[in-house]
Formats: sequence, structure tokens, C-alpha cells
Amino acid sequence: MGSLFTPLSWNDSGLILAGIWNTIVISVVAIVIGTILGLIIGFIRSESNKTVNLILSSLLDILRSVPLIIQLILFSTFVGAWGYPLEPFVAGSIILSLYTMAFMSEVFRSAFESVHSSMLTASRSLGLSYWQTVFYIRLPIGIRTVFPSWLGVALSVIKDSALVSVIGYMELLRTSDQLISRTQQPLEILLGVGLFYFLISYPLSLYGKHVERKMAL
Amino acid sequence: MDYQFHWNTVFQKMPEMLEGAFVTLHVSILSMLIGIVIAVFLAIVKMNQIKPFSYISSVWIEISRNTPALFQIYMAYFGLGAFGIHLSPYVAVLSALIFVNAGYLAETFRGGFQSIPKTQYSASKSLGMTNFQSYWYIILPQMFRRIYHPMTNQFVWSILMSSLGILVGMSELSGETQRLQSLSFRTLEFFMVAAVMYYIITKFVLISASLISRRLFKGEI
Amino acid sequence: MNLFKKLTICASLVAVLLPTVSSADKLDDVIKKGELNCGVVLDFPPMGYFDKDNKPLGFDVDYCNDLAKALGVKSNVLNLTWSDRIPSLVSGKTDVVIGSTSDTLERAKSVGFTYPYFIFKFQVFSKNKIASFDDLKGLKVGAALGTTYETEYLAYAKKHGWGKDNYTAFKSENDAFLGLFQGKIDAIITTNTNIATKLQTKEFKDFSAGPFVPNYDDVVGLIAKRSEVSWINYLNLFLIHQIRDGNMNKHYNTHFGADAPADLIQALRDNK
Repeated sequence: MGSLFTPLSWNDSGLILAGIWNTIVISVVAIVIGTILGLIIGFIRSESNKTVNLILSSLLDILRSVPLIIQLILFSTFVGAWGYPLEPFVAGSIILSLYTMAFMSEVFRSAFESVHSSMLTASRSLGLSYWQTVFYIRLPIGIRTVFPSWLGVALSVIKDSALVSVIGYMELLRTSDQLISRTQQPLEILLGVGLFYFLISYPLSLYGKHVERKMAL
Repeated sequence: MDYQFHWNTVFQKMPEMLEGAFVTLHVSILSMLIGIVIAVFLAIVKMNQIKPFSYISSVWIEISRNTPALFQIYMAYFGLGAFGIHLSPYVAVLSALIFVNAGYLAETFRGGFQSIPKTQYSASKSLGMTNFQSYWYIILPQMFRRIYHPMTNQFVWSILMSSLGILVGMSELSGETQRLQSLSFRTLEFFMVAAVMYYIITKFVLISASLISRRLFKGEI
Repeated sequence: MNLFKKLTICASLVAVLLPTVSSADKLDDVIKKGELNCGVVLDFPPMGYFDKDNKPLGFDVDYCNDLAKALGVKSNVLNLTWSDRIPSLVSGKTDVVIGSTSDTLERAKSVGFTYPYFIFKFQVFSKNKIASFDDLKGLKVGAALGTTYETEYLAYAKKHGWGKDNYTAFKSENDAFLGLFQGKIDAIITTNTNIATKLQTKEFKDFSAGPFVPNYDDVVGLIAKRSEVSWINYLNLFLIHQIRDGNMNKHYNTHFGADAPADLIQALRDNK
């Protein structure tokens, strides 16, 4: 038999890069889809009456009050039992996108509500239609105000994407777990993983703070 | 769908599941309480630029906010283990949650404090209040109102993230669920019940928080 | 011919044809798909592990490849942890799990087991030599979460009033070894085969294999969806052929460095 424990080597760089790539891909997918869905739901929520809001918010609440790890296990097992087994990447993207949507919809609801009603009256009196007001007035102004919160949610999605490892998606953390099994060197590998997340997240969070400060002026 | 649900298996294991839920509550409450104490310290040294603590505070805050919780838990468990520091799964998860809670709450506290206009402080001084009085009666109550909601969210986050205990073999709700489902291989049933239990716990926390806030702030938010 | 007659003929035609065009089962699916998704626990040497090029190796992996070859399809080995095994089957990610699954009657209510394909002993592994199983009292003991040896240890501890406080669960087999290696715990319970393999590494050569879990043989089978009876039939025949054609002994030799013990082969032949 071959040797059981072997140290990290350059042979592993391909595997690590694939893990990094997979983390980036699933985060981007979830953020993009989650933002689009969140924008739509946020808009519906800001435009609807109390009953519709209550129904929507209690549905979204489920996504926000069950741990992501359990949502992932349940969903991927359930669709399989239902007869439509999904690849870990697909199942993970769906749940992570919905999870993102739940938080993004709050962000965008406050975006739409942040635009003062006098602006809307003004734009309507200028002859803009309802949808023109939405697209040219409310959306641009609203999005600018909530950009820092949007970035906050996006950053937490990048970090939460590590959980998709539980359903077998070979993202960075699962890759490192496999390497730890083989090398018995947890510290070096974990520190590398931590550094990667930090290098992605920290500059973005600094940028978010910078924007926030600029807007406060 | 060719899956047949066997709910009896889960109901027989209900006492163990509830025990797990209790551990979940326990660890998240504790992580919140200790996290708040540390966060106050981190926020104070950072705002007053007390060196070298303010550097430690900044590093703490940035690392806790910019790395995944899963990484922090692994680090507390196997990372520290490499240095011969051996935390039990419970303590490892607890310390990781404290680490994150303190980091996030420190920023919340700092933001809350800075949102109170300085003029309030001078006004209360000009009314003849002492330093302590102006903080205790004027600044802190207003600040508390602003940080109450983010604190509730942080608590809910702690409950949800304690589920990562599953990955270091801790027997909180998720870990216990994982163990029980391995005995009978009834994955769907056990995790569905766990999901419902998490939902009830977080709803309970949110509803009590909003009831308490109504009493505390009497509608004036 | 009136409408009623036409309808009756149609209905009886459908009734006759339906059973013959019944949906393809798992065996057909795998052959048509041209690929066998085979789940293996890859941190459980020598049954399954990764080599330095991150390629899966091991006794179970060889079984996957043999099975795929017998079916005439490509073999796709998926890495699972102990607790991933069932979700992976239910969710259809794997067609079969060759992952040392203990065939308890409780589990057989949920998944379909084949005949046994291997028999393990559960054994104590520790830094300091442990003479008898009762010496574990007061020591910090660990095992992988959701395994039969965890259950056996906990049952033994409960019977002897040791309590659960000294027990630590790990999410995977390797995490348990890592915990032992780092000194988090004094001893772990695992299988004799895994211990024998680990003793050959420089990391674990100073550790010592201790007593067996009293009165327990861990008989393991392949698992598949319970409803896929004809698929399980095929798997059973495959296991018989592995012994008959000498593949079992060949792989045993590769991974354990000796011929398979006669009593193991006999026990498997007797389906114990």
C-alpha cells in the first residue's frame, strides 16, 4: 500500500486552486441570484399592504430562523428522495441563493422606502409613469443609500458559502479538510484558509465603510 | 416520491433531541453574555485609542468579522490543538461564538455610542449633572435603544451558528440530530424535526425581545 | 364498433402493456448512464483513503472499481463521511455505498443491505498501553460520530456507570485520529484494520493497540436504496463472485499485506 500520511506538496496546488475557484463561483452565483430575487421581493414588500407583507415575511422568516447547514442537508436529501437528485453545486446554489434573498429583500425594502414620498410626487407631476419613477428615481437613489448594507450581506454570503461543504461541494474548506486528513497538518492549512477569506473580505469591508462615511457627509 | 416517513423513530428519541436543544440555548446565551462584556471593553479601548489595547481590539474585530464562523470553530478545536491547547467541543464552539459576538457587538456599541450627538453630553453637563449622571441618565439609555435590535439579531445569529457544533462532534441540537440519524438512518425525519425546533427557538427569542422592547422603550423608538 | 367497445379494448391493452414497460430500475439506470456513483468513506484506511496525489485508494475503492467493471461502466468514487452515507443514497448522489456499514436491524428499516462483505473488530487505540476494556474508566475516550463503535462504547459506559462526560465525538474517522494525535483524548475506539494501518505510519508508530470491544463482531454490508431489490440482488451476486473469483483475497493482500484469514472468508460465505 502507499504511504498513509503525506505532507503538503506542490501537487496539491491544483486541488487548492479548484477549491478557491469553487468558493468564488458559488458565492458569486448566490449573491447575483439572491440580489435579483431580493430586489423583486423587496419591491413587492414595499408596495404591498399589511396582509401580503405578513405572509411574505413569515415565509422569509423560515429561511432566516433555520440554520443554513440544516437547510442544506434537508433540501439536498429531500429533492433526492423526491426523485430529482441534484449535484451538490446546484442544490447548494439554490439554498444559498434563497438564503441570500431572504436578507437582501430586507435591504431592498428599506431601499425603496428610503426614498422620500415628496420625490415621488415630484416625479409623477413631471409626467413620469409609475414604472419610470421606479426605475429612474426610486431604484438609483434607494440603492445608493443601502449599498453598505448590501455589501454587508454579500460578505456574509461569501463566508457562509463554506457551509455548502456539508453536502459534498468541494469548496475551499472541504478541500482543506481532505488535505488535513491526508497530511495531519491542521494548523498550516487552516491558517491558509483563514487568510484567503480575510484577504477577500477585509478590503471589501473597508470599501463599504469608506462609502458609508462618504454618504454620511 | 418513494420515501416513506417513519415518524415514530423520531418521537422515541425526543428526549435526546430536547436535551440537544437545551445545549444549543445554553451555549448561545453564554456566548452572548460573555461576548457583550468583552465587546464593551473592545469598544471602549478602540474609541479612546488606549494603546496597545486598541490595536488588539482592531485586530480582534477585523478577524472575527472577515473569516467564516466555521473556520473559527475549526481553529479553536484543531488549530489550538496543534499548540497543545485542548478545548472540549463545547468550549471550542463557545469560544468561537464569543470571539465573533464580541467582534460584531464591539462595532455595534461603537456605532451606537457615536450616533449620540456630543451636544447631548454638553447639555447635560450644563444642567449640572456629573460625568456619571450624564452617561447613566442621558447617553446610555439612548444608546441602548439603538443597539437593542442589532443585539437581538446577534443573539439569533449565535443560536443558528451554534449548529456548526455538528462539525466538531458537539452534542447540541444539530450534533445530536446527526448522531441519532446515524443510528436509524432516518435523515429527513430527524432533520425536519430539528429545523422546526430551531424555528421555534428563534421565534421565541424574537417575540420575547420585541415584547421586552415594548415595555422598555414604551413605543418611543 | 361503438365507443364503449373501443374504450374497453384500449383499457385492456394498456393494462397488458403497462407491466412490460414498467420504469427502469437502478440496475438499468446505472448501465444506461454508463457510470457508477459509488460512495466510499475516504478517511478510513485501508478501506478508503487518499494518496499523495489526492487519488482515492483502498479496499472499498477496489470493490467500486470491480463492480463498475462487472457492470461495464465507468467508476466514479465519491468521498463521504460516516454520516453522509444515507443522505447520499436517499438524495441519489450515490448508487451504492461501499462504506463498511454495520448491518443493524434498526438501519435495515431505512436502507437495503447486501450480504456482509467484511467483518471488523472494534479495538481501543491509545498512546499509553491499555490492558483491558475496563481500564477506559476515567480516561478521555473518543470515536467518530454516528458509528457503531460509538454506540457500543456508550452502551458499555452506561452499563458500567461511567457517564458521558469523558466521551468526545468527532465528525469523521480522521478527526478522531487527529484528536488522539494532538492529545485531546487518551484513547479512541475504532476498527482493528484501521489501527493496524495507522501503526505502520511514523505519526502513530509509538501508539498501541489495546483491547477489543467485548463480545462484538462488526459485520458490514454494502448499502443501497431499500426499494431497489433487483439492484441489491445484483450486488449480492457481485459479492459472492468477489470471493469465488479470488478478487477479495487479492485486494486483502494489497491492503493488509497477507492472505484473507480463512475464518473471515468462511464467515462471509456463511453470510454471518
